[in-house]
Amino acid sequence: MRLKWVALCTAAMIALPMAAAEAAELRIGFTADALTLDPANHRNRETQTIIRNMHDGLLTRDSQMNVVPELAESWTALDPTTYEFKLRRGVAFHDGSPMTAADVKFTFDRLTGEGAMDGQTSPRKSLLGPLKEVKVIDDRTFHMILEEPWPILPAMLPFQEVVSKAHVEKVGTAGMAGSVSGTGPFKLVEWRRGDSVIMERYDGYYGGAADIPPMGKACVDRVIFKVIPENASRVAALLAGDVHIINGLPTHNVKQVESNPNTRVMAVNGTRSTFIALNNQTAPFDDLRVRRAVAYALDRKLIVDKILDGNATLIDGILSPDAFGKNEALPTYGYDLAKAKALLAEAGHADGIDVTLDVDGANKETAEAIASLLTKAGIRTKVAVNEASQLKARYRTKGKPIDGQMWLTSWGNGSLDPVGIFVPTHRTAGRGNSSGYSNTEVDALLDAANTETDRAKRASLYARAEAIVNKDLPKVYLWVAKDLYGVSNQVAGWQPSADSRINLHDACLK
Amino acid sequence: MKLGKLFERLVQLLPVLLGVSAIVFIMMTLTPGDPVDIMLGDQHVTEEQEQALRKDMGLDLPPLERFVKFIGNAATGNFGLSFYHRQPVMEVIASRLPATIELSLAALVFALALSIPLGVIAAVKKNSLLDRLATVSSLFGVSLPGFWFGILLLMLFAVHLNVLPVSGRAGFSSEVPPITYLLLIDTLLHGRFDAFGDALAHIVLPAVTLGLPMASILMRVTRASMLEVLEQDYITFAEAKGLSRYKILVKHALKNALIPTVTVAAIETGSLLGGNMVVETVFGWPGLGRLVVESIFVRNYPLIQAAVLIYAVTYVMLNFFADILYTVLNPRVRL
Repeated sequence: MRLKWVALCTAAMIALPMAAAEAAELRIGFTADALTLDPANHRNRETQTIIRNMHDGLLTRDSQMNVVPELAESWTALDPTTYEFKLRRGVAFHDGSPMTAADVKFTFDRLTGEGAMDGQTSPRKSLLGPLKEVKVIDDRTFHMILEEPWPILPAMLPFQEVVSKAHVEKVGTAGMAGSVSGTGPFKLVEWRRGDSVIMERYDGYYGGAADIPPMGKACVDRVIFKVIPENASRVAALLAGDVHIINGLPTHNVKQVESNPNTRVMAVNGTRSTFIALNNQTAPFDDLRVRRAVAYALDRKLIVDKILDGNATLIDGILSPDAFGKNEALPTYGYDLAKAKALLAEAGHADGIDVTLDVDGANKETAEAIASLLTKAGIRTKVAVNEASQLKARYRTKGKPIDGQMWLTSWGNGSLDPVGIFVPTHRTAGRGNSSGYSNTEVDALLDAANTETDRAKRASLYARAEAIVNKDLPKVYLWVAKDLYGVSNQVAGWQPSADSRINLHDACLK
Repeated sequence: MKLGKLFERLVQLLPVLLGVSAIVFIMMTLTPGDPVDIMLGDQHVTEEQEQALRKDMGLDLPPLERFVKFIGNAATGNFGLSFYHRQPVMEVIASRLPATIELSLAALVFALALSIPLGVIAAVKKNSLLDRLATVSSLFGVSLPGFWFGILLLMLFAVHLNVLPVSGRAGFSSEVPPITYLLLIDTLLHGRFDAFGDALAHIVLPAVTLGLPMASILMRVTRASMLEVLEQDYITFAEAKGLSRYKILVKHALKNALIPTVTVAAIETGSLLGGNMVVETVFGWPGLGRLVVESIFVRNYPLIQAAVLIYAVTYVMLNFFADILYTVLNPRVRL
């Protein structure tokens, strides 16, 4: 009897991996679990990365970050406040029902209406700015009507996914948290909360964005997003072959992943600008000369090479080199120790100054490198490590007094449009203005650009604003770090993308 | 007697819970960090949009009013919506609690299975090489930081030897319809031995990491109390009667020596709750501990409140259970 049991168990254990090996199963070691599977009820990048493999949007971005049509076939601005969209033919939701303009209207009404989700209001409402209404013209045509000109509408639409009206009405907002009937390349199999999100190929897929070849069904049979929050464990999972792609590869693991014969590192320009916010409200950084001394004292290239393993691009203004409206002609504050010391002396600090650089735990090493370079120039810097949420509360005061001197921080800009980064970090009392900076000229330029519909004019407004900011130096602009992924050599056809989405439609397993 | 005592304890629990809620609430209110700001992330948002979200999350009310509202709702079992999951807190917690219970039980079983035999052997062979080795190892066991030891195990067994999975609770094919929600038991109940093997492989490393400090403490307690018992007159008497060594050790000595071990184990199980937070993060274990850590970082107030209450209830009940167990094992003590 006992022997029979043992034989049964052994047979089952042998049979199982064989069965699993037949299906191409692509596993992603991912930093966080989805908070919900409802595309309208979260405000979280990781959640969107997962959801985006099951839900498509009207527009999307290619790996070069260009906005291209996805469920939409085309779009045109009829006037500054009216956009006309044509939907693609032959798109069906996972339950087989066709997608029409009525679903699109329902989706955006649900996103923008007060209490439109069974009493809850979508936390994504503010991502749609002044969108007033979606007007259905026919099954494949609709208009998006804005309250005021909002030129970044196309740049913001890739953040929203179209849901099925019938499905939402059937399951309700509570049911949407755990069920999916989207138009994306993968269908939901199961969400094991905190552990993994399991999807399988949707055979009725329309093929995806025409501008991002290859079109067609997804390559792999099954995709599993495995939640592994701890960096070391995520890297271990990749090296052990448990997962095929990991996000958030720490720079100090790059060599380890590269030297493993089965894995490689893939990098993509990120969208997060790193800078040192200087408190412009009080001494010593209320003095432009001291702020400039900080900029000259920093050998940014050395830090990037030593700590980020070369995986970053230096910036001289807040915008990433890939962003719209980037001023390409900004002067650089190159490393010049003598100049830094001279500026400091000129400001009346010939004996140097003592300052504290605040930083969160994750960026401690970089802060220590910065501190040692600054100290060499006479800006004797002490590093204080604190929790990120606390530092935000102390520095992002919307114009009220800032509690601190300097903070090594960053601001992400998934849309790569200055509205998402320049305005909050530099406009007077902006929610990300961590230096207490206020310049009426910059404010006026940013406000004008906000509603300017002529692309060239709009870009030049931002370029002018960036030139002023580069001179005023409320922050010392450092770099845009690359996003690093560890990837198994079995994976082919997949490209990381700058907005940190992991689109698995084209990924295959060798 | 026991029922009356149980009721008394439950009544005593109420002020404890109220106190815990108040302390957690005050601490959360005083800690800098704005959930609305964290949720909005790096985006341009107008003041009106921000205020609308604040109102939606119920954070526009003054703190005292929020606290009173929370207590009122909590009394009816309603802990509100998790800010980030936008679902009832209790649903979110319920989806993660079984994994934590399973891991804690596995750690407890591991700790008992390792510590009792080792403690007995160390006591019987007092001052031998084995005894010293066990005593010194237990010192390490208590001192090793969980996140470091966990990663070490992971590198060895999952990466270099490649015999155990790195993270998670089970592979794709190993999920079975829940009965008890404890995967190890459910897989057996369904007769899915392949899935049981898979679940066991997944739980070994986290359970060992979590259970090691407890095993070390219990080993020392067992050893000390066994030494004490072995010197008692009745043991000498049993020896004089000519009983076998095995019978003396197991039937007479161990039975009495285990009283402190069992009570300490019951209390220590409470401390597993803290260890869970670290171990679940390292091993990507889908439990409550990790959820709470993540919630603290993003100031998810409703979830933290509810989770801390669950922790408090568990801890108090475990202590009560330890008291009862003590009286059962040692009839000389009356509650």
